[in-house]
Amino acid sequence: MKFLKKLSALLLAAVLLASCLPVLALADDVPYDTYNYDYWENIVRIPAPYVPDGAISGVSLDCGAFASPQDICVAPNGDLYIADTGHNRIVVVDGTGRKVERIIDSFENGGEQDGFNAPTGVCVSENNQLYVADRENQRIVVLELDGTLDRIVRDPQSDVLPAGFVFKPLKISVDYADRIYCIAQNMFQGILVFETDGQFSGFFGTINVQLSLWEKFWKKVATKEERQNQTLYIATEFTGMDIDESGFVYATNIDEAGKQGVRRLNPRGEDVIKKGRNENIGGDLWTGGSGAYAGPSQITDVVYRGEGIFSLLDRKRGRVFTYDHEGNLLYIFGGLGTQAGTFTTPVAVEQWNGELLVLDATRAEIYRFAPTEYGSLINQAVALRYDGDEAQAVPLWERVLELDENNELACSGIGKAYLSAGDNKTAMKYLKLGMNRDYYSVAFKRYRSEILRAHLGQALTVAGVALVAVLAAVQVRKRTRNKKAAKKGGVSG
Amino acid sequence: MKAAFGKDKWQYLLYTISHPVDGFYWIRHQDRGSVPLAVLLVICFSLCFSVNRISASFIVNDVEPATVDSLQELSGVLLLYGLLCVGNWSITCLMNGSGRMKDIAIAIGYGCAPMIPALLLATLFSQFITVEEGAFYYLIIGLGVAYAVVVMLLGIRQVHDYTMGKTLITLFLTFVAILFILFVSLLLIDLIGQVYNFFRSIYTELVFRM
Repeated sequence: MKFLKKLSALLLAAVLLASCLPVLALADDVPYDTYNYDYWENIVRIPAPYVPDGAISGVSLDCGAFASPQDICVAPNGDLYIADTGHNRIVVVDGTGRKVERIIDSFENGGEQDGFNAPTGVCVSENNQLYVADRENQRIVVLELDGTLDRIVRDPQSDVLPAGFVFKPLKISVDYADRIYCIAQNMFQGILVFETDGQFSGFFGTINVQLSLWEKFWKKVATKEERQNQTLYIATEFTGMDIDESGFVYATNIDEAGKQGVRRLNPRGEDVIKKGRNENIGGDLWTGGSGAYAGPSQITDVVYRGEGIFSLLDRKRGRVFTYDHEGNLLYIFGGLGTQAGTFTTPVAVEQWNGELLVLDATRAEIYRFAPTEYGSLINQAVALRYDGDEAQAVPLWERVLELDENNELACSGIGKAYLSAGDNKTAMKYLKLGMNRDYYSVAFKRYRSEILRAHLGQALTVAGVALVAVLAAVQVRKRTRNKKAAKKGGVSG
Repeated sequence: MKAAFGKDKWQYLLYTISHPVDGFYWIRHQDRGSVPLAVLLVICFSLCFSVNRISASFIVNDVEPATVDSLQELSGVLLLYGLLCVGNWSITCLMNGSGRMKDIAIAIGYGCAPMIPALLLATLFSQFITVEEGAFYYLIIGLGVAYAVVVMLLGIRQVHDYTMGKTLITLFLTFVAILFILFVSLLLIDLIGQVYNFFRSIYTELVFRM
């Protein structure tokens, strides 16, 4: 009896323990595809890196449904700012996502009440000021967080701006020095930069039009009339922005070729992004097929998530692509649809309390995505590598391999750790699985000299014996030949 | 069959590769070559090509193993070989080439021979190198290909009794001829398909009405 009691207690404990274990989110559990591309650019299914974790909407916040919201922004104190474009207001949500802190729909401007007209972009600076791209009022409004007006930026004046240019700001970002970076409607020359005092100082990160040889040829051949009837070759507009901690601007654009959907612009406006081994940082690699669902990804927004990691939002297929600082794809999730957790018109992405937020303009909701064990392991391991603590990342990568044995980054990370630990043979195995050719070569070189050093004595002995044997055989052959010749000579002579 | 793969044919293959000008002269005028041997060499080349693509070391190999299908590659190589022979023959016939079909087949087939050891040697060698030494691997393959091209060029020149300039011109025309053959055969296949479909639809119509 006592034994049975003990056994049942043990069983109960085991069941309880098992139920505490984290459950792996399988691809079937989420309403979208979760995948990645391997070295050969094949699609590889992966466990879900992020799972839907509810939504924030005007209804859930009890402040009336949003109308076509276009932008969200996370303030340094964790508040979430939503540009409710259709209702001409900014809704501020507290860190829990359940309560409205305040609604900013008017401010005092020179003694009069003033308001927004279609605010499409919102940004809170490090110095805790709220910047609103007030599109139809053609201005950028800078407010203190309590809603009092600080200044208004409007009517950029410069020779480089075309005559009759109407300034309609769409998206804004602000760096540590309170410089304003602004994407304006129909402005193909780049991002407009305003200095701290509100003076327009120039364009930033201009995308050059890339003509193919074939297009150049036809341009040469065409007559003037024909050229006038052709469509203009115009650089693409930027679509979204974020700024990292060192002041580099991540700016997305829609690339017709699907090669580069995001740029990392240094303070001089030059693109310094790393594109990874397949020279592609434009979302999906498989874009064939026909219909509205085919074609290159249309990257509409970017969020810089710290430690070199950034995520892109694709409005074509509703995907979120996450890359590390070297341009390696970490994971892809998300999709279009009508289920909870899928999008209709995704327009903005943000990181908030470790979750990812995606704003859907049509459904006027913000979808929350919580990292799974798989997703957060990759995030942590990549962050450790970014900080140079690659050895500490090994246990994380090992757990990643248990969840997803095809993960090349994990294999590569473990391989590098074995390499620095001196286990060259195991390092070779993992580096090959991780398709990391350069490090594999280093491991192989060390392994080769290891083998050579261990067996050089034996090899030399064998070679020496063989040499002696060959020399002896030659001598013996010579002698027998001489004897035969002597015999023959003797017989004939 | 024995004569086709006889010891003298093998020895003469070695002689031809080391002395292409002389070798191909006697192949043309004394039938010292062997067409079956030439085809065998082409098949061997194709197999070695596949072996190289599959088993060359990871250091120098950027081919996804799952995409290598040696039978498919073999049929591709044989098709190209056949097209080259037919194309070259049809051009040189019109341009006073003295080579017969079998001479052309032998010249191209024997020309593949240097690539066989080069590919095998490079595959073996790649197992012992690092990325920095990869240049030697490409050197081995490059030498093999260069040797093969030289043997093929000299062979075609010799069997047709051409100058080098005329050989190059006929080779260019050969490629045009190959494109033409491919075009016509695609057209033919399409037409045959349409005729087949026509009679098939008549048949189904009859069957449905009866």
